[in-house]
Amino acid sequence: MMLTRREWIWLASGLGAMQFVDRAGFCAASEPLFLEIPPSSSGIDWVHENAMSPSHYLPETLGPGCAFLDFDNDGWMDIFLVNSGPCDFWKPSKLVRNALYKNNRDGTFTDVTEKAGVSGAYFGMGVAVGDYDNDGWPDLFVTAYGRCILYRNNHDGTFTDVTDKAGLATPGWTTSAVWFDYDGDGRLDLFVCSFVDYAGVRKLECGNNKIGRNYYCVPRIFKSTPSFLYHNNGDGTFTDVSKGTAIATALGKGLGVVATDINNDGRLDLFVANDTVQNFLFVNRGPGSSGNWNWEEIALQAGVGFSESGRPRSGMGVDAADIEGSGWQDLFVANIDHEMFSLYRNNRDETFRDVAQGNGVSRATRLLSGWGLKYFDYDNDGATDLMLANGHPDDMIDSYSMQVKYKEPLLLFHQEQDHKLRDVSEDAGPVFHKDFAARGLAVGDFDNDGRLDVLVGNNGGSPLLLRNNAAKGNHWLGLRLEGTQSNRDAIGAKISWSAGGKLRQRLKSNGGSYLSSHDPREVLGLDSATHIDELEIHWPAPSKQVENFKNLAGDRYIHVVEGKGIVQSSSTPKASNSYQS
Amino acid sequence: MVCSLGMWKSTLSVLILTIDIVGVGLFAGAQTPQELVEDGMRKQQAGDLTGAVNDYREFLKLRPEATAIHSNLGAALAGLGRFNEAVVEYKTALRQAPGLPGARLNLALAYYKMGRISEAAVELAKVQREDPANVQAVLLLGDCYLRMGQNKDVVRVLEPEEARHPDDMAIAYLLGTALIRDKQVEKGQVLVDRILRNGDSAEAHLMMGTAKMTIQDFAGARDEFARAAALNPNLPEVHVLYGRALHLTGDSDQAVQEFKKELALDPYNFEANLQLGANAREEQTYEDAMQYFSRALETRPGDPGVRYQLAVIDLDQGRLEPARRQLESLVKESPDFTEAHVSLSIVYYRLKRPADGKRERDIVEKLTAEAQAKQPGVKAQ
Repeated sequence: MMLTRREWIWLASGLGAMQFVDRAGFCAASEPLFLEIPPSSSGIDWVHENAMSPSHYLPETLGPGCAFLDFDNDGWMDIFLVNSGPCDFWKPSKLVRNALYKNNRDGTFTDVTEKAGVSGAYFGMGVAVGDYDNDGWPDLFVTAYGRCILYRNNHDGTFTDVTDKAGLATPGWTTSAVWFDYDGDGRLDLFVCSFVDYAGVRKLECGNNKIGRNYYCVPRIFKSTPSFLYHNNGDGTFTDVSKGTAIATALGKGLGVVATDINNDGRLDLFVANDTVQNFLFVNRGPGSSGNWNWEEIALQAGVGFSESGRPRSGMGVDAADIEGSGWQDLFVANIDHEMFSLYRNNRDETFRDVAQGNGVSRATRLLSGWGLKYFDYDNDGATDLMLANGHPDDMIDSYSMQVKYKEPLLLFHQEQDHKLRDVSEDAGPVFHKDFAARGLAVGDFDNDGRLDVLVGNNGGSPLLLRNNAAKGNHWLGLRLEGTQSNRDAIGAKISWSAGGKLRQRLKSNGGSYLSSHDPREVLGLDSATHIDELEIHWPAPSKQVENFKNLAGDRYIHVVEGKGIVQSSSTPKASNSYQS
Repeated sequence: MVCSLGMWKSTLSVLILTIDIVGVGLFAGAQTPQELVEDGMRKQQAGDLTGAVNDYREFLKLRPEATAIHSNLGAALAGLGRFNEAVVEYKTALRQAPGLPGARLNLALAYYKMGRISEAAVELAKVQREDPANVQAVLLLGDCYLRMGQNKDVVRVLEPEEARHPDDMAIAYLLGTALIRDKQVEKGQVLVDRILRNGDSAEAHLMMGTAKMTIQDFAGARDEFARAAALNPNLPEVHVLYGRALHLTGDSDQAVQEFKKELALDPYNFEANLQLGANAREEQTYEDAMQYFSRALETRPGDPGVRYQLAVIDLDQGRLEPARRQLESLVKESPDFTEAHVSLSIVYYRLKRPADGKRERDIVEKLTAEAQAKQPGVKAQ
């Protein structure tokens, strides 16, 4: 076949584009960046029960959260899924429970909920995973409308509800929570977002909408509430230390939280997304003179409390990461449709600038409502990317809006050479062309191939498990950090690494997304480099020690213990200290 | 007078060119000044407006009290697009002879062309009082009120005209649009139906689109406006409305193009300038934003929304003192302007005035709580 010059140029330019696409993390058209693993393959047949009723009680539409965690310490990420449950407006007619799925190490999972004893007992919302007792086994804190539950890991595949003993029987309606060590004593403390005061007005319904039925009340009509900060006493108990601080006086409607260090002072701060009122940025100022810890709420003056036009928005999901490699943490918050999501660039002076517009994020998200989201390097090129899970809270929105839908697509952004995020969803695979009532989103490497996979909790539906195909061809190094003097999960550690002539850094912040918890390991993208020239770990307080490692081969996980160096290295992590089932 | 909307738009152009060139018989005996005036009038009628302006100015140096020549000079300047100078001449003429025929309407038209819509409206209201039968003035006055968002005033001045001229599509369009925007949808629908009877017209689609916007059917509105723009791309406000609908349905790029098309037809369109300014501010192209907002402010002097946007640009660019002054002025005028309090609080904090910042922040919290307490839509079960 003869080609015309014009056809030849067109084909040639197409080939050029394909080469570019490969470098950006795209695959050939036949191989999606993320592949949906159906329940029939994964064995995850659990379905979220949202308890949707004609009355449309607001808690029905806010869940569920989800988590990647290695509850049995076998080196493989298991899955925890939060369900609703009995409460003052709903009595389930059938068994409704959370789900814990053990990773079978072959791409399938087995439901071990009953044995583990983590079924739940309340209208569950989200989950925060953390080793609060520094015993090397992850524990679970499940938030709820009704009552939270702290499940302590018994090291034998079971958990015990120690909520009351621990002093964490948090009342009201709690949503996202995050484990972090705010005072640098080597133990994980706990921040719990409180949503609205729903108990006193639970029987209120919002009146007829345009199609003559009740709809989910806009949270604007409910009173704001203070969130909770619990100090870990080191003996299995916690003390509510929010009283007398800005955390108690800042009344909000918290939905998302991330613990990060916005001013590089070595102390973890908190960024909280609030629904219909201003967001909060609690800056950790250290011990106060009055005996209380000193938290300063600076969201308004920092430029992250309101929209650029001075309006409060419907903040839901949040995250933090050093997007531009500046060494400073940038923030992200997802809002409801037409409010625009915000990508806040850190100005390095405790103020931020919303650069979502310039990154194409505003355009892509204008009609969407964002919940779970995560900054992570999906293609292991060393630059942080972004994934968003979306869905409108009103199940009837399709009936009276021509543009906004109840179920919405996932979004994937790739960070380009100029540090801008580019929406690559269109070409990311069939799952990005489907719509979901997505809420929670967790990131984790469930198949231990060094490519971070994704788990999405869908309201009233099956969870969505996505296997990452995007990072093929790029190299990586996985870190399992274990604190000895610092908290065992090493939250707050700073990691810097050089590979292929590029120096990169990352803060091990915690939380982020919405109602969800992520793989605690850090996967460092090396791009085309096969090894790391130098790795530096700055352990958090109290030790603050720095450890250096040189010439580390890539494409494997290493287990680094504070003060002891690398204690284990494997291309496929072996079970260590795991119980025998 | 019966005219279509297209005719009405043309009428504006005709009016500005309807130069009231007044004869100057009183100078018949004064050879040199008379020659100057005659020469100027001849040039003006021949289209040599610059030459006419020069002659009139020479003449007025000799006879500054010649009211009619000030008016003629104003017309020549307006024809050259030198509206600021034209306004000065018309004002001089009217000061000397408040009842000078045509001068006030020409002054109003100059203001209108400059986008100083509120000032045009003031002059047109005077013309209407002096000459109630002047349909052109009433129509223009209605258009000014519509642009200023004063829908009830549009209804007030155009309802009697609509009764007198039921077949006038321009009046039906303006009045119908105002009624729909004023949420008097049923009355507006009557006028829509009247326009619809005239076939698949741009005006009808524009009004249908406006009605759909009021019930937040943005996609439906977008399609109506698209059809209107295709049928008559010169229809006043068609692009700005289409742009707004595109913006609300997520197509920001196309929206910007439509706003720009509107400005190509009407450089002082308030909404187009406001939207493009806001877009430019979001994209941090501040010079463009300032230009758009400045023009919007010319159309609606003192508009709090535009002044707020200008203050936020100052804040974005670190010009804290100008931002403070503007925002303090805004919150003094409008104590419940929450967004202005938010920005003023930020300004105070950045000026290292934390006590003032906290005061404003407390106001924000109070206003937010009050607003939330007023939320409708809740009933007890």
